[in-house]
Formats: sequence, structure tokens, C-alpha cells
Amino acid sequence: MSPDADIAYWIVAASMIVLLAPLASGILSALIPVRYSWLVSLTASFMLLVAVAGAVVLVSNAGLHDTRHFSTAWFTLGGNEIAAGILVDKYAAVMVLVVTIVSFLVHLYSAGYMAGDASIRRYFVMLGFFTFTMLGIVLSDNLLILFMCWELVGFSSYMLIGHWMELPEAAQASRKAYMMNRIGDLGFIAGLMIVYRKAGTFDISILASHSLQGWETTAALCFFLAIAAKSAQFPLLTWLPDAMAGPTPVSALIHAATMVAAGVFLLGRIHFMFPPEALQVVTAAGLLTALTGAAAALGHFDIKKILAYSTVSQLGLMVTALGMGAKDAAMLHLLTHAFFKAGLFLAAGAIIHTLHQVQVSTGKTYDVQDIRNLGGLRKAMPVTFVVFVLCGAALSGIPMFSGFQSKEAILSHMLSGQGEWSLIAAFLFLLTAFLTIVYTFRLIWFVFIANEGRQWGNIPEVPFVMRFPMIVLGLASLWWIVSLNPFSFSGWFMTGRATGSATMISIAVVITALATSFLFVRKKPTPTGAPGILTNTFYLDNVFGALVTRPVGHLSSLCVRIDRRYIDGILHGAAYAQVTLAHIVGWIDKTIVDGIVNFVARLASWLGAFVRTFQSGNIQMYIFWAGMGLLLLTLYIVT
Amino acid sequence: MPDHILTYLIFLPVLAAFLALFIPRDRSAWFRVLNLAVCGVQGILTIIAIVRYGSETGDLRLIERTEWFSLNLGTWGSLRAEYFLGVDGLSLPLIALTVFVMIIAGISSWTITKGVKGYFTLMLILNAAVIGSFAALDLLLFYLFFEFMLLPMFFLIGIWGGKRREYASIKFFLYTLCGSILILVAFIGLYISGSVPGDVATHTFNIMYLRDGSNYVPGSVLDPSGTWLIGGWSARNWAFLLLFVGFAIKLPMVPFHTWLPDAHVEAPTPVSVILAALLLKIGGYGLLRIAYPLFPDAALSLSWMVGLFGVVSIIYGALTAMASKDLKRLIAYSSVSHMGYVLLGMASATQEGVSGAVYQMVSHGVITTMLFLIAGVLYDRTNDRMIENYSGLARIMPVYFVVVLIAFFASLGLPGFSGFIAEIMVFLGAFRSNVIHLSLAIIATLGLALGAAYYLWTIQRMFFGKLHVRGAASTEQLTDLDLREKVMFLPLAAITLILGIFPQLLLNYIDPFALGFVSLLTGGS
Repeated sequence: MSPDADIAYWIVAASMIVLLAPLASGILSALIPVRYSWLVSLTASFMLLVAVAGAVVLVSNAGLHDTRHFSTAWFTLGGNEIAAGILVDKYAAVMVLVVTIVSFLVHLYSAGYMAGDASIRRYFVMLGFFTFTMLGIVLSDNLLILFMCWELVGFSSYMLIGHWMELPEAAQASRKAYMMNRIGDLGFIAGLMIVYRKAGTFDISILASHSLQGWETTAALCFFLAIAAKSAQFPLLTWLPDAMAGPTPVSALIHAATMVAAGVFLLGRIHFMFPPEALQVVTAAGLLTALTGAAAALGHFDIKKILAYSTVSQLGLMVTALGMGAKDAAMLHLLTHAFFKAGLFLAAGAIIHTLHQVQVSTGKTYDVQDIRNLGGLRKAMPVTFVVFVLCGAALSGIPMFSGFQSKEAILSHMLSGQGEWSLIAAFLFLLTAFLTIVYTFRLIWFVFIANEGRQWGNIPEVPFVMRFPMIVLGLASLWWIVSLNPFSFSGWFMTGRATGSATMISIAVVITALATSFLFVRKKPTPTGAPGILTNTFYLDNVFGALVTRPVGHLSSLCVRIDRRYIDGILHGAAYAQVTLAHIVGWIDKTIVDGIVNFVARLASWLGAFVRTFQSGNIQMYIFWAGMGLLLLTLYIVT
Repeated sequence: MPDHILTYLIFLPVLAAFLALFIPRDRSAWFRVLNLAVCGVQGILTIIAIVRYGSETGDLRLIERTEWFSLNLGTWGSLRAEYFLGVDGLSLPLIALTVFVMIIAGISSWTITKGVKGYFTLMLILNAAVIGSFAALDLLLFYLFFEFMLLPMFFLIGIWGGKRREYASIKFFLYTLCGSILILVAFIGLYISGSVPGDVATHTFNIMYLRDGSNYVPGSVLDPSGTWLIGGWSARNWAFLLLFVGFAIKLPMVPFHTWLPDAHVEAPTPVSVILAALLLKIGGYGLLRIAYPLFPDAALSLSWMVGLFGVVSIIYGALTAMASKDLKRLIAYSSVSHMGYVLLGMASATQEGVSGAVYQMVSHGVITTMLFLIAGVLYDRTNDRMIENYSGLARIMPVYFVVVLIAFFASLGLPGFSGFIAEIMVFLGAFRSNVIHLSLAIIATLGLALGAAYYLWTIQRMFFGKLHVRGAASTEQLTDLDLREKVMFLPLAAITLILGIFPQLLLNYIDPFALGFVSLLTGGS
């Protein structure tokens, strides 16, 4: 085999392993008998480890410089062959690594977190299936299969958010997540329809050199609707915080590190389809989301919701970066965010998990996710605290942490751009970064440091199987994941130089924000109430309800009324009319037609009776009538 | 032996129905076994038919053709009716679907205890009539089978139905009768105008002859080159309209759909299954086999209307389903919505759209069978199908819940299931069409969101949340699926999954048909 064919062989084989190992994990989890449920967490984690190994083989063979494309016919549609294939470029390769690694760590963590759960098999089935479909999105070379996986991750997300089905809020949140994503998917389908009509293919690499003949902006905006729903962009963002009703490892994997990043990934993959006008919309939506998310994070008290809004906000930053053309920077932020946000969620999960056990043993009940009920956990849970701080620092973009480098990459691109738009964007970007630091500080402060005197008693740290993934993610939040130089984003993933001003401004913002938080947030003994506009996320749900849910409900009852009153009404009317007509005809029949007949009959019988009276059988009468007859005859003749 | 395979397929159940008359009426097991045995043999015959279909060539295969009768009608010329059977890429999948669904319905019918003899006799007659309708290529023969479906159905609903069975069965009967009359009028027009090639005096019901515009008597009502106008509209448009409305009632299409929810709600589960999975398909089949190919000119000029009604059905059906309180009624309305895609697909007059329409017919046949069986499972246990009366069922009926998830998500178009393939093909075709307006395809996509809305809401209300049961039912009655039920659901779930992942399996048959169909439409005008 030639070296090239050899590499191609390894790439395809590794891709298959990467894709099929998580699927096999899901299927295996379904097949294991209920009695051996505990086995599931072992097999699933092992299969994911296989997937990680496959990903490493894939990336080491594919490299980061080439784009490789393999496909095979799937089915023929109207004379057009629809292929199924894989397209590995730099972004896909990195994404495969991120997804498999985070997924493996979350599987491992879940082994501890979900131990003893009655539906642990279903949990691992869906977790494996999710990983499979997510990798499908990443590797697929055409938009149709990508869309199929896109919908399927929505399904696994639905099942995992609703994992604890008996909780009404989980049931509600899972439906909401699926519905909002479905609305976005309509945009995806519209985009597919446009692409198919204008280009006749779904193949991404062919589409890159294909014009959509005047439909570019429409198609781009259609796809962006789907991206906005999946990546929780304004205004389709409220499902993500609600999705926190699911188990925390799920929040880490799906609603922070991977699935919600699928939108950003797709935006990167079909970036060539976005004309400048569409990119302006993308940028505006991204900035609005970044700010909305960061502001809302300041207004909430639920530890997971704060992290969720933080995710919304960070996704907004990635979308903004893509809108401004900073593809590398956006993907770098996706990468760093995946690790530090997953770390934050797993650490939050450790707190929730531990305090639940404390609650069970002490019999006290309070909302363990409400940061007003927490505080002083630093001493009790030192490992969790360190991981949380490491990842939180990365989120805040503090130097020496990965988040700093990726944000610097975005900011550098913005500052090197032309026109006042870039400056406005850069200003809003910095504002978001500022808010991010404040809410992260607030979170860490109230969970770990405030109420130092609070007696938690002897709380155990979480088991090693949960601590290990947290520690890995904490370490992955440090600078070396991006580049050996902590102040440069130029490393294995992307090259470029930070503009000096970007570095200086970033550091200045960090210092100001830290100072502000230290001075103001710290002062309050407990977090005070926030304005309603923040706790209600700018009333987006209410607007959505008034504009979509309620009108659809009205329309729905209107349709039932039309069915019952008008369509069936006309039908019944016609039936009644016919029956009435039948009655009238019957009446006519009986009274008039039969009447005449009866009348004639009666007349005849009356006449007969009358005539019969002449024939009385009385001789005298006969003679009398005969005499009368003769008399009349004589009279007639004479006159 | 398999020279007359279609005849065997059709008349085997008739023979069995005759046999059933000799079985004592208290031997219910015999009837069940007889019915299942017939369906099983039909299954084997279908497999043979599929194999033979693959070995033959041409558009129409497995042809059986012989003169049936000939009548001299004096000044009306002479009438020639043929016993003409054959299948193509449209009818073969539908016949396979019929046999498959009949097997499932046969298993499901084991719960019927009242009047078993009559019930199974009617089922067998229905079986023959449905397959006959799909195989007949002579209008008179088709009409005969078509009408023959009506009576067994009327009695199956009217005798074995629920509380309002009489209302439902009469409504069903009247609606369908109206449709039949419209179709009959069009057929008479076709008979008067069409003739055997080369002999203007011999009139014919042969669909293949009537597809060819040169086989019409010059100057007759429906002569494609004629100039007959009725109310300012060409006679061919009227004839197409008659056929369209006639078959659309069967489909059913909004606003001719209100027989469907009532018939479904009242009918026993297996009858609902047959009604939704097979009888509705006759409507779509009639449009694709008769209305469109015989009047391509009229069809193209009126396609905007077909497409519009398709979209109205999709949206309207979904909205009404959303407001339904009875699970079975919800499913019935979802059928209205899903059959709208069939109309939209064929109206597009593109290969994708037409393939999608046929794919949707098969896929809906399988999925809706699951859905009605699901409603039946609940009704068998508690006699109560009100959605609001249940909550948290997932916990006590886990297997049932998995089946519900599969069926609901398959029906709402989740990729990986057959419904997705069908719907995406319809969308792509409709948007690519030059015949109907692009906005129709865009509006139709809303049906996907509405579909998800009513199914997910149902899941949330019935299966999520804390377990409790209101009304007359109690939780003890709610046992999980038994073996017989699992046996019914397993092949259904497998097929919708297989057709969702390997669409080429079915497209191998459908696509050539769609190609011929589209070239007939666009080339024939």
C-alpha cells in the first residue's frame, strides 16, 4: 500500500471505531440484564475509552493540515446520489478529540454519580447514543446526514434532560428543549431544501464551490435559525437553563461541552455559505446572546443555572467570533470552553451529590443547588474547590489559564478589524468578559468562601471515580492546553500574534473586574435579590408564550371548532335536511297520495253502500222502486 | 404454480371466508388460526411475488390478463371489461404492506370475543378487497374491489365498535359512498370516451389504454384534444376534480376528513389499524394510479390545488390532534396530517416528491399500525383512553413506554425512522417543484413542529410525572405488555427502523415508478 492509501485506511478505520464504540456502548447497556445494572458503568466507560483511542489514531493520521474526505453511496434520490461519508479537517479532528475525551470523563464520573439510580441502564444507553450522534455531526461530510444526527442529538438530549421523569420540571424542561430545537430544525430543513434545489447536492465539500444563485443569504439565515436553537442563541436560549433539570453529568457533557457547541461547529463548517449580510446578523445575535447570558447569570441563585447562563454567554462569544470571521479563534474558544465548563459542571455535580447524601443522612431538606444555602465549602471539599477555581479562572479569562488565550485570540481579531462595527463588538465583548468575571467570582465566593463559620460537619469528598475526571478537566483549564506560552494563543491549533493592545486590555479588564467583585460582591452576607428582568431572563419565556404557544393553542381549538361546528355541522345539517325531506315526502305520501286513493276507495264503498240500500231484499220495496221507475220513465216520454 | 400469483393472493382469503362459513360459530380459536394461516400463506406468496418481480422487466410485472366479459350496447358501442392484474413499483410495496398489516391485525384480533365467526369472515373479505384494489388495472375491476371494501368495514365498525358505533359507521358509509359516486361518474365518462386502440367502437376500462391520449374517441367528452367545456372549464378538469375529491375523501383530506376520527374512535383496534394503515392508502393509490396518469394535463394545471389541500391537511390535522383529549382521536388526526404529505409530494410532480409520497404511504402504514395498537393496549386494560386520566405510566409500563417512544418519535419524523425519509423527500421535492409554489413546502415544515408538539405533550402528560390514574381505571389494571403484544410490536418497530436507515431497499421499487410517473406528467402535457 502506498503511504497515502495507508493513511486513508487508518483514518476510515479509526473513524468507524470512534463512531461505533459509543453506539456499541449504548446497545450493550440496553442488552445487559437488569440484575447486572452496575456492570453498565464499567462497559460504557470502557467503550468510551476505546473511542478515545480511536480518536487519537484518527487525529494522528489525519493531521491538522489536510482535509480528508471519504464517502460511499447511501441512496439515490431523484437521480441524485446521496452519499454517506466522513470529512475530516482540522476542526473536525479537534472536535472528535474533545467529544470523545469529555464524553469518556463524563461516563467515568457518571459511574459514581448515577450509582444506584433505578434507570441507570437507560441513562448509559442514551449517553452512548448521544456520543455516537454527536460524533456523527462532527464527522459527516454532508448536510443531510449531519441533519439526521443533529435531530438525534436533540432526541438524546430530550431523554437525558427528562431522565428523572417523575420530576415535573424535568418533564417540562425536556419538552421545551426539544420543541425549541425543533423550531430551529425547521430552519435547517428550509436550508436543506434551498441547497437541494439550487445545488442538487448536500456534500459540504462540493457546496463550497457551488453558488446558490441569489439564495445565499436566505439559506444562511435558515441554517442560522437551527444553529441559534442548538447553541442557545438569542432569542431561543431559555431552554438551556431549564435543561439543568437533568442529571449534572449530562449538563456537563451535553449542555455545556458538546451538543450546544454543535451549532458553533456547524457554523464553522458551513462558514463559506454565509455572505457578509448574514454574518452581520450572526454577529449581532452572538453579541446579544453573550450579554443576555452574562447578565442573567448575575441574577440567578441556582448554581447550575448560573453555569448554564454562562454557557449561553460563552456560546454567544463563539458565535460572535464566527460572525466576524475569526474561525480559528472561535474554535479555539470552543475547545477551551469544553474543558473548563465541563470541569465546572462536574465540580458543581460533586457538591450536589455530596450534599444530597448529607441531606439523606441528616434528614434536613433544602435546595442544595441554591447558592444562598451554600457557603464555606472550601475546607470541607478542597479538591472540588481547587478544580472549581481553576476552571472558573479559565472561564473568567485570567492569565495563565486557557480561557485567557482563547479570548485573547477573539479580541485580537476584533481589534484588527476595520470600521466602527469591530470596535463596538470589541467593547461589548469586553463588557461580557467583565460580567463573566463578576458572576464567576460571585459564584465561587458564595459557594466556597462566604459563611466561613458554617458547620458542614465531616463531609466526605466524592469518590475517586468522580474526582479523577474533575482533576483532569481542572488541569486541562491551564494555559498549556493551548500553547506553552501562557500569553500567546499561537500554538498547535492556530497561529497568529496577539496584538499588544488586546493583551493589555484583557489584563486591565480582568484586574478591574476582580477589584469590582472583591469590593462589592464580597460585602454582602448573602446574595441579594436581583431585578426581575434578570431572574426572568428578560421575560423571553413570556414573550415566546404570547407570540407562539398561546396563538397555536387558540388556533388548535379553532380547528376543533371548525371540525365540530362547521364541517360536521354542514354534514349533520345535510343529513337532517334529508331526513326531514324524507318525512315530508312520507307525509305527502300518506296524507295526499294515500289520501286520494283512500278517498276514492271510500267514495266507491260509500256509493256501494248507498246502492246496496236499494237491494234490501224486500219485495214491497222492489215493487215500489219499480213503480217509481216506471213513473219517471212515463213522465220522461210524455214530456 | 406462481403464474397467477396475484389471483392467489386475492382469492385465497375469499376461499377461506367461504370455508369459515362451515366452521361452528363457537370455535373461536379455529377462526383465529384460519385467518392467521391465510395471512401467513399470503406472506409467503408475497415473498415469491417480490422475487418474481425482481426477475421480470418492464413497468408492469406479474401481469395476468384475460377478457372478463364483453357486452354489446347498441348505439353505445360495445363494452369490454378485462380481468387485468399487475403490479409496479407503486402497488408492490402497498400489497406487501397490506399482507404484513393483515398479519398484525390478525394477531391483534385475538382480543375480539363477540361474534367471532362474522368478524373473521368480514376480515377475510376485506383482505381480498384491499389487495384486489391494489392489483387491479381495469377500472371496473378496481371499482368492484373498491366498493367491496366498504361493506365489511361498515359492519366491522357498526357491530364490533364502541358506544357511538352506529353514528360512526353510517358517517363512514355516507362519506365513502359520496366519494364512490363521484369516482363512478368519472369512470363512466372515461368509459364513454376511451376505446380500445384501433377500434373506436369498443369502449374499455383498461387503465393502461386510458393512459394513452390517442385511445380516446375523437370529439368525446374526455378526449384530450377535445374542446368540451362545462361551466367554462374543460371536461377533463372536471373529471380530474371528481376523481380527486372521490379519492381525497378516502385519503382523507381536509375538509372531507371528519368521518375518520369518529370511525377510528369507535372501531375496534384491529379494524382501526386496517382502516388507517391500508384503506387510507387506497385514496393515495387511486390518485397516483388513476387520477394523475389518466389526466396528466388537468393534474398539472390543478396541482397547486392538490398541494394546497395537502398543506392545509398537514397543518389542520396537526392542530386538531393537539386539542384532542382522546389518545385514539389524536392518533386519527395525526393520520390526516401525515396523509397531507402524500398530497404535497404528488402535487410537486418531481421524482423526489412522488417517491416521498409513496414512501410516506408505506411508512405511515407501518407507524400508524403501531400507534393504533398502542391506543388499543391501553383500552384493552382500562376501557379508557382519555389522556388526562393518566400520568407517570413510564414507571409501571416500561416496555410499553419504549414502544410508545419509538412509535411517537417515528411518527413525528425523527431521523432513523422511515417517516423522516418520506417527509424529507416530500419537502425536497415540493421545494424543487416548478408546478407548485415554493411557500407551500416552507409552510408544510410547520407540520413537523406541530407534530412534535402534540406527541411530546402527550408523553409528558401520560408517561412522565408522578404515577396516578383517574377515572374508572386503576393502576392494578395497567400491566406491561404481554408476549403477544411484544410479538406484534417488534416487527413493526424493526421495519420502520430498517426503512429509515436503508431507504434504498424500498426506493429500488418506488423510484422507477416515480420516474415514469413524472415523465408521464411532464411529457404528456
